Amino acid sequence: MSFASMGFAFFVTVVIVIFYIVPAKFQWVVLLAASWYFYGYYSFNDLVYIIITTVSAYVCAALIENARIRQDAYLKDNAETLSKEDRKEYKARTKKHQRLFLICTLVLNFGILAYLKYANITIAYINMYRLKWFGDTDFIPFIRVLLPLGISFYTFQTMGYLIDIYYGKYARERNFLKFALYVSFFPQIVQGPISRFGQLAPQLYSPKKYDFNNIRSGFYRIMWGLFKKLVIADRLAGYVTSVMSQKEYFGGFYILLAVFFYSMQIYGDFSGGIDIASGVAEMFGIRLTENFERPFFSKSISEYWQRWHITLGTWFKDYIFYPLSVNKKILKLGKRLREHGHESLGKRIPIYIPMLFVWILTGMWHGSESRFVVWGLFNYVFIVLGTELEGVSARITGRLRLRESGTLMKSYRAFKTFWLMSFLRLFDINQTPSDAFRAFRLIFTDWRTFDIVKVYEQLSLPQEDFIVAAAAIVILFVFELIQRKGSVRERIFAMPVACQWVILSVLFVAVSVFGYYGPGYDASAFIYGAF
Amino acid sequence: MDRIIEILREIHPETDYENETHLIDNRIFDSFDVVTLVGELMDEYDIEITAEHMIPENFNSASAIYALVQSLEEE
Repeated sequence: MSFASMGFAFFVTVVIVIFYIVPAKFQWVVLLAASWYFYGYYSFNDLVYIIITTVSAYVCAALIENARIRQDAYLKDNAETLSKEDRKEYKARTKKHQRLFLICTLVLNFGILAYLKYANITIAYINMYRLKWFGDTDFIPFIRVLLPLGISFYTFQTMGYLIDIYYGKYARERNFLKFALYVSFFPQIVQGPISRFGQLAPQLYSPKKYDFNNIRSGFYRIMWGLFKKLVIADRLAGYVTSVMSQKEYFGGFYILLAVFFYSMQIYGDFSGGIDIASGVAEMFGIRLTENFERPFFSKSISEYWQRWHITLGTWFKDYIFYPLSVNKKILKLGKRLREHGHESLGKRIPIYIPMLFVWILTGMWHGSESRFVVWGLFNYVFIVLGTELEGVSARITGRLRLRESGTLMKSYRAFKTFWLMSFLRLFDINQTPSDAFRAFRLIFTDWRTFDIVKVYEQLSLPQEDFIVAAAAIVILFVFELIQRKGSVRERIFAMPVACQWVILSVLFVAVSVFGYYGPGYDASAFIYGAF
Repeated sequence: MDRIIEILREIHPETDYENETHLIDNRIFDSFDVVTLVGELMDEYDIEITAEHMIPENFNSASAIYALVQSLEEE
């Protein structure tokens, strides 16, 4: 049951009707039943993994919180007899126990994720090197398992919750079924966003009154998501795959176009999927965290990563980057460098070391092959270079008498960032790092004449599709330009009702008529759904 | 409090720290700035800032940072 299918539309409609019919105190139960049904329908056998995550996180949160409650009670009861050191020691002991509970649960859950995600690629590498070095053809068999739906997303979301409980940021959810809903809420289970407990849970459990504005607003957002997914992303997918599978045959110009198209494809696919998820949630009166903020308008790679897949970036920032950056050993290293006269480097080290970890892990999150780690490292290098060269860049801008805040400089920076990020995606659309480098080289060395007929005839992008894709990309660009000045939906809803109907009808027709339903069409295949 | 504003001005001189209450939420301070600030605070006040203190609420304004420093000094 894909997000972009009639089955899903029917399912959501039924759930909405039941949701607003039942007494308000049972609404969350409807969402839980719908979420479990959705997950079980998609892949019944994978329910076991999400149940393990739910149960282990629930138990661990209880152990952590109970340890804290026992500690507080003990310190209160013995307030007069305990010295400051005794209190400190007791707190340290409690913290140690809590840390043990946390680490065991993190190891279990990330262990399952790592096993399912990396076992086969590890086996493949072992087999390859055994053959290469020892001529051994006695291969280790691959494990027969597909990555469960949304496992990277719900694992990160649930483990984030646990770490927050450990830090004492929230009180744990005591109702097991309510907690299970937080883990499995169906609109976001496929590809996020990775929500925080404090933001999502209160919305899931609170009673909701039927509000036509929520339904209308959610519906617009779903249609816009479908437009991005079906009209843009799915239409361009064939072209990108064809060119990348025959790079030498097509040459530089086609590859450059494929690089551009892939950026549009993955943005349409991922942000479109998020729009659908957010739109569905909105119909239940629930606002999901925004995952995109017009990333292609970013003026640097750092900024880009604050605007693309925002919830993953903030997860890594809060649970990996910050804890590492205040790690005593790393801080000590920075201090030592400063004491030895390396003032600037000493300040940067507590930033650059944690960032390296974050980018290696971000790469691994996106895929198990080495090319994703290489992709992560390139991101890291570009961000570090961007930071280190800020002074040089400012001097050049000054000499050229250009204003940093002027339209020209802003456009130049956005253009540069877009193409840097697009070229890095060559690691995503090629099977190995060397394939990606080859494609990059061909862009600059193989400039045969661009024959548009070749595109129409030999690629999965006939002339009409080419025109539709180009027009849709322009519409997307204009939409985002308008969006910079505020919500487009709010503007539409301020218009006369007749205009609203016209816009909705046009969008509906565009998705129905121009949605790409070509051969091999599989709307269930959201790219990020595979992560 | 004055010293904290001084430290903040070394990182972003142009910000009005007396009135700004969304340093993190409004992205005036990015993660680079936060880590630099934490290093400065730890050196200046001889306090230990750990992972659990690294939440936006503790760094959104000069007064929130001041409150964090005070609570850590008392520990």
